[in-house]
Amino acid sequence: MAKRKVSFKLKSNLSELDALCQNLEKFGQSMGLSKKCVFETNLALDELFTNIISYGFDDKNEHTISITIALQNDDLVVHIEDDGIPFNPTNAETPDLECSIEECRIGGLGIHLAKNLMDEVCYQRCKDKNILTLKKNIKETEPQKKQAKS
Amino acid sequence: MEIIEENQGGINIYKLNGRLDSNTSQGFEKKIFQAIDDGSKSMIIDFKNLDYISSAGLRVILKATKALKREDGKIMLCDMQDYVKEVFEIAGFDSFLPIVVSMDEALNAF
Repeated sequence: MAKRKVSFKLKSNLSELDALCQNLEKFGQSMGLSKKCVFETNLALDELFTNIISYGFDDKNEHTISITIALQNDDLVVHIEDDGIPFNPTNAETPDLECSIEECRIGGLGIHLAKNLMDEVCYQRCKDKNILTLKKNIKETEPQKKQAKS
Repeated sequence: MEIIEENQGGINIYKLNGRLDSNTSQGFEKKIFQAIDDGSKSMIIDFKNLDYISSAGLRVILKATKALKREDGKIMLCDMQDYVKEVFEIAGFDSFLPIVVSMDEALNAF
């Protein structure tokens, strides 16, 4: 049986987004996850990872971001861990979605997408690390099964 | 991401193929704004073969739309896959961006 958990490390560089996507797609395939579920999880992870790279480090050194993806019953559970400055993205302000094109600001949009695509996004600061835990119920994103012919 | 550029009756058409994310959005932004600087006022972005978009991609589309609006120009977005369209919807962008189903519909808007 395929392993229900995968862990990998990414460097603090946007070019790692490809590796992130490949690792997630491979896991999704082996677990038989729907394309929609993999797409939505990929986007949430992309936004949070990009956020960490853009705002998480106050030096020029290369950092490592650890990611673990696991399937626990019907929940896809993802952990993202970095050693950057304390930052809780779940506190970010929700952008005004009712605005007109002239007023529209893009800030906070990534986090807004991540929160909407996942069922849960939780933040913890633990031993000088930022730890994000994401949860998504895989049954909700699966296409409805065709009814059996009577 | 691959970008195929075409010109049809003075309309700049960009066919996107692959993933529009923080890695690829800069190249796309450069292309679009070069065209706007060169006087292009009509654009269609074809999403048919775009598999993925993140907020970095949305940012470029928004920026281009605003720039063209200032120039009295026009942009149309067409043929999005369901997942991609969902991202525009969650962002609330579908309320002010001209998203249409097909290339024909996009061309007819000019």
